[in-house]
Amino acid sequence: MPQLRKDPVTKRWVITILENPKGPKDFSVLRVENKQDSCPFCMGKESSTPPEVMSYREPNTLPNQPGWKLRVVPNRYPALQIEGDLDRTGIGLYDMMNGVGAHEVIIETPDHHGSFEVFSVEQVFKIVNAYCDRYRDLKRDRRFRYILIFKNSGSAAGASLDHPHSQLIATPIIPKRVMEEVEGAKQYFYYKERCVFCDIIRQELSSGSRVIHENESFVAFAPFASRFPFETWIAPKDHKASFGEIEEAEQESFAQTLHATMRKLMKTLGSPPFNYIIHTSPCDELCADYYHWHLEIMPRLTKVAGFEWGSGFYVNPVPPEVAARYLKQTDSD
Amino acid sequence: MPQLRKDPVLKQWVIISPERGKRPQDFPPERGLPPEEDSPCPFCEGNEKMTPKESLAFRKTGTLSDTPGWWVRIIPDRSPILSPEGDVGREGIGMFDAMNSIGVHEVVIEAPLHRQNLLNVNLDQVREVIWAYKQRLQEIKKNPRFKHFLVVKNSGRGVSNFSHSHSHIVATPIIPKRIEEEIDGAREYFHYHDRCIYCDIIRQELGEPSRIVFQDKLFLVFCPFASRFPFEMLIIPMAHQPFFEILDNDHVHGFANALQISLRRMNILLPDIPYNFILHSSPCSESYKDFFHWHVEIIPKLTRVAGFEWGSGFYINPTPPEDAAQMLRDAPI
Repeated sequence: MPQLRKDPVTKRWVITILENPKGPKDFSVLRVENKQDSCPFCMGKESSTPPEVMSYREPNTLPNQPGWKLRVVPNRYPALQIEGDLDRTGIGLYDMMNGVGAHEVIIETPDHHGSFEVFSVEQVFKIVNAYCDRYRDLKRDRRFRYILIFKNSGSAAGASLDHPHSQLIATPIIPKRVMEEVEGAKQYFYYKERCVFCDIIRQELSSGSRVIHENESFVAFAPFASRFPFETWIAPKDHKASFGEIEEAEQESFAQTLHATMRKLMKTLGSPPFNYIIHTSPCDELCADYYHWHLEIMPRLTKVAGFEWGSGFYVNPVPPEVAARYLKQTDSD
Repeated sequence: MPQLRKDPVLKQWVIISPERGKRPQDFPPERGLPPEEDSPCPFCEGNEKMTPKESLAFRKTGTLSDTPGWWVRIIPDRSPILSPEGDVGREGIGMFDAMNSIGVHEVVIEAPLHRQNLLNVNLDQVREVIWAYKQRLQEIKKNPRFKHFLVVKNSGRGVSNFSHSHSHIVATPIIPKRIEEEIDGAREYFHYHDRCIYCDIIRQELGEPSRIVFQDKLFLVFCPFASRFPFEMLIIPMAHQPFFEILDNDHVHGFANALQISLRRMNILLPDIPYNFILHSSPCSESYKDFFHWHVEIIPKLTRVAGFEWGSGFYINPTPPEDAAQMLRDAPI
């Protein structure tokens, strides 16, 4: 019989199919490649993007010229615009405001064919470092309530370009999914005076059946109420609400965990399309006691059908214990 | 400038991005029906023995169960996500909660012939499908273990495995999260205003008809103010009705008409587009009847949901609902 599992933070129920669980070979992985000569993110094509916001580059090279190792540019088709006021208005019972925000692209490497399968730990560290730098800079803008850092890889995951990149969106509101997590964590804290994520991590580390990888400061695990097959979260073992606060040593440790976990996922599943998202505290940090930043990785193996859309109630054909076992067994080297 | 709009019930913000101003022809998704299998279709008349035993069928007098002679047929799903047998079996595992996946998962075969569907059959056949939903839901509702049910249709390539026109009935032992959110939003509004929020939305839409697709005495079809997806539509009864399953004769006819018109208009703008529709009815309890108002969401599958939307619950919609409504209104049927 399938099992219903409840996410302790968002209170979302998931149907977990326990019998004859699907293995990594049971999903057909589809990748669509775009042409390289038209790629605006490759070295030498710097003029085809808006002027860069920052870059890590060789000494003595100029901005918007070749010689960079990682580059951050504004999105050419931004979902939100950086200039302007919020201009909040209501029409009857409807509320609206201007779409003010930042939308940036982090070009992770000059190598068009780069990916987590070939990235060195140092390259991943550069990427994490860039996320932190941009986060801290944008957090100073008082109009922004939340900064969302995410990666879409593969067209089935929503990426329109193959060149390895991630995105950052700073929003003037706290997105709904984040608000739900914050509310769930707040309720738990009022009841127990403990962070719900710290408790989850404690329970996962002691039971061990869903742990995929760990080092001194971070743990990667398959969450108890995983919505998707092979869904994986990475969380710091020590309580910290905001991703923007992490120190250099933690950045290194996080990069090491992300590198190892992504390689395990890519090798086990045959490089599927995926999304990952950093969940961090809203900019005001009022929830510092009870929120705990983490990264959620979702390989895109199944199609989300009407039932999931309409109900917010997911069906997962791979129990997280089974997914964790496969991933733990796969070598990350 | 993109605009942020808030869904008054779900309190979910959506980015409406008119600069991206997408028209129907700008979407290059998968179109058409799922690929045909070589094996015979189990849903066709004459192949009744290939499916589990029917739980309801409208058939010619004198014909036997599980034989030809039917025009609408409901059967248990061959690989159900919820199973009707057994106990709810609630348990806690440390801080985690789980229970057995008790419920109903059935398939409504909407017509006996393989090429028939809700767009090309006559209105009487659509009405018979609505009657079948209604009759089966009333039966399922008698079981007190089920808290809620959904009627979901996934149609077309990429969202369904079968090309024979069908929908699903799913009854669950919990109230799914998305419905819970709607209930909370509607309840809060009712406590404050002593009015149903959906009734107020209908009044406001009728007052400024820019988002209306179709209306008659009994039903309104419109593109919601904070539409998450391009060409998203909502069908709702004008009068306050919490429960779908106790619909009267006139409303069954009116709903069949509104549904078929909406699907036909969508098909003219977006030929053979895969789509989902989801019925949201009040949970199986009288306690929601003052503030819940049943409705149907129709969502054409045009855009891919990427990491940003998943992680934030914050959607980017490239087609303003006013533009979508105008195109749907003007579609010649």
